Amino acid sequence: MAEEFSTDGMLDIYLFENEQLLEQLQERVLEQKDADCFDEDSINEIFRTMHTIKGSSGIMMFDNITAVSHKLEDIFYYLRESHPDNVPHLQLVEHVLEVEDFISGELEKIRNGEQADGDSTGIVADLDQFLNQIKNGGEGQEAATPVAENVHEPAKQFYIAPVATSDSRFYKIYITFYPETEMANVHAYKTVYALKEVAEDILYSPEDIISDENASETIIREGFRILLQAQCSEEEIRQIIGVGYDIKEVDVYECKAEEFLQGFDFGENGPSAAERAIIDLNASVEEIESKADTAAKEGEVKEAPQPEKPKIAPGDFVIKSKDPGKRKTLAKDKKNDKASFISVNVSKMDQLMELIGELVISESVVLQSPDLNVPGLNLDNFKKESAQLAKVTTDLQDVIMSMRMVPLTNTFQKMNRIVFDVSRKLGKDIDFVMVGEQTEVDKNIIEHISDPLMHIVRNSVDHGIESKEQRLESGKPERGKVTLSAKTEAGKVWISVEDDGTGLDREKIIAKARKQGLLDETKPDSAYSDKEVYQFITLPGFSTNEQVTEYSGRGVGMDVVIQNIQTIGGTLEIESKPGLGSTMILKIPLTLAIIDGIVMEVGNSSFVMETGVIKQFIRVKEDMMIHEPNGDEYIMIRGEAYPVLRLGKWYGLDEYQESVEDGIMMILEVEDKKICLLVDRLVGEREIVVKPIPSYIKKVKGLSGCTQLGDGSIALILDAAGLIE
Amino acid sequence: MGETSELKVNANGHDEQKGKYMTFKSGNEYFGLEIQYVNTIIQLQPITAIPETEDYIKGLLNLRGKVIPVIDVRLRFKQPPLDYNDRTCIIVINVKSMMVGLIVEQIAEVVEISESNILPPPSIGRIDKGHNKYVYGIGKVGDTVKLLLDPDKLLNDEDLSVVESANDMNMEEE
Repeated sequence: MAEEFSTDGMLDIYLFENEQLLEQLQERVLEQKDADCFDEDSINEIFRTMHTIKGSSGIMMFDNITAVSHKLEDIFYYLRESHPDNVPHLQLVEHVLEVEDFISGELEKIRNGEQADGDSTGIVADLDQFLNQIKNGGEGQEAATPVAENVHEPAKQFYIAPVATSDSRFYKIYITFYPETEMANVHAYKTVYALKEVAEDILYSPEDIISDENASETIIREGFRILLQAQCSEEEIRQIIGVGYDIKEVDVYECKAEEFLQGFDFGENGPSAAERAIIDLNASVEEIESKADTAAKEGEVKEAPQPEKPKIAPGDFVIKSKDPGKRKTLAKDKKNDKASFISVNVSKMDQLMELIGELVISESVVLQSPDLNVPGLNLDNFKKESAQLAKVTTDLQDVIMSMRMVPLTNTFQKMNRIVFDVSRKLGKDIDFVMVGEQTEVDKNIIEHISDPLMHIVRNSVDHGIESKEQRLESGKPERGKVTLSAKTEAGKVWISVEDDGTGLDREKIIAKARKQGLLDETKPDSAYSDKEVYQFITLPGFSTNEQVTEYSGRGVGMDVVIQNIQTIGGTLEIESKPGLGSTMILKIPLTLAIIDGIVMEVGNSSFVMETGVIKQFIRVKEDMMIHEPNGDEYIMIRGEAYPVLRLGKWYGLDEYQESVEDGIMMILEVEDKKICLLVDRLVGEREIVVKPIPSYIKKVKGLSGCTQLGDGSIALILDAAGLIE
Repeated sequence: MGETSELKVNANGHDEQKGKYMTFKSGNEYFGLEIQYVNTIIQLQPITAIPETEDYIKGLLNLRGKVIPVIDVRLRFKQPPLDYNDRTCIIVINVKSMMVGLIVEQIAEVVEISESNILPPPSIGRIDKGHNKYVYGIGKVGDTVKLLLDPDKLLNDEDLSVVESANDMNMEEE
């Protein structure tokens, strides 16, 4: 799972989002095409849009889209910062639309499962020229005078780590351009782009040919150097590069793998190997990182093409691909699997759901109409048709429910990203495993669990997993492992974050709890169960981490996590084995909108209790009851005493059953606390649509909402936790 | 009033709605509500009681899939309760995006009262504070007078506890 950057689902979202962005962009541009220039807002908007597209395309590794959007972003960056007043507006509009068309075209290709292989170099060149033109006040067309440096980070480029095969050959390629060549960097990029088709690994210098505007000068002065690992012959490479009108000379040398590793060394013309820092994979993480930072701006960590499976630098799991060239087939995997999205206002969905709920009720009213009870009426056809109607309404209900359900995939991918970032920063090697990310949860709930989950995952990586040295000392594999899994169980979704780190330190937590006065001093430490002790870490301001890091240790976080989880009716369980790791289990309801409930009656009122909390129904005899003088009642069931709550008495209802023998008892359990609830009658189990009690009515303890029953009447939903309190 | 009458009233309020009042009888008085607040009028329906609430809050009602709270106007005015009969109606009003049902003894009619016929409520001689608060004016219609109600105050004022709990609920829903 963690071995590759899974793009399932992400591709659809990527397409959806970017198509929307482009639509908005086009709308805005067309709105102002007849004006003299773009207003400030639009410039910012287009700049942001391009930045977003660039970013997401970079992640999805659609290099041509990245390149084009980056160039357009440059132009708008310049417009935004320098406010030039001589911009040929119409030309600019044309350029923007050209870019828009190009990206749309590429997205369309991706959507149809083709490769996004459009040639961006022409557009990039045009844009470059345009940028230079406006920078130079429209006087000259010279490309060689870049003015403002782009302060943005260069476009992210990801490289596929090579997996050496015996057929691989290594080449050094040296391309010289004619000195008068304009935009040599674009030509260089074109070459690299062409070579990528065959490359298993490719490395070139200067590295930043797209966004660095000095690159073209460097290329003309020093030549353009490429290191290529591929399975093709020298002839083929020459053919791919071709000798264009501007390329003066192409030298291709075959070399050995070791030479390839040494990097660029083209004799006197090239820089020494030391200049192009090559990362020694056996060096420490810190070294790798520092080198990676200085040498490889793109964040590339070069891989050694060793015959066996190469070692992986921290975080590489995210961009590593199992097969060389896998990236190219990315879109093909999704062939014909396209999902088209339409964003709908949630309130409309709620309305639809309400209407469907009503439809179901009206249906049952019609089908049970007393008019049908006339003796001797032939209802055969009516019954057949009403069965059909019932089927359709049930289907309708299912569909509206499934519309609200969203897989956790995207939330999990976000966590993947967090593990990636945090582990790289901390220099920890971490295997991140995701299980069951297809589990579907109500959209409202997903919004609530993202933040808590992020905290927990960060915690696991930061102070769950030990440093490499500590891990080796305690005989664990150097790579830590964090497992994020989701499953549906007992009507709830269990999301667990498991790490194989140190686990929680019971003694430390107890010591800290004592310091903060949280312990009952009369009790010995051993009287606290592990569960109770671990719960302390969820209290505000509680952190046993002595060191405050960027990510955790301040003692805020876990309490926020708990709060967020509780608002959606979830719980957090903490399990831990010292030295072996800890597991945090989030149990959250599948949906807030529909629950399985038992409908019951007390007097004239109907109530609903969530099925999950009911452990048992029991008919009891009067002699099982224990009455305390103060009015409290208990009941002995199989040697255990449970407190009894008479719902009718508790709420002061009319006409409820006085005798326990006429009613029925339910044993409820919430978080290990048990209680017996006495009601008059059970009606049955239903799927019920939860509605809030109108805010006008003040909150009543033990009630969590209301629902409509089949006959249109309203039942109140009991909240077991509230009753137990 | 055997049939359910529905007044499809646009909340934005057209000009023709201005100055029109829905009047109803409670006790010996006639009360008036500006018609723009009125959503619909329905027959008495089964109401689900909610435990532990003020006695004038009768409970919850299912209005075409929407759950709305219902209050008894007589009890709200601290008048003695009266058994419901087939003249009893529920006026559903919209106040600040909240729908509330008002149980009234008897619906009267829709009348037009021009502004010049609306007098401020007499403040002297009225010790009954509760009453005074929801009545913002007295409208003259011919020989009779209608007490004009401010629905917002009818639901909310003086009951700080209600407001507080409403806030609590809102927070929970978020």
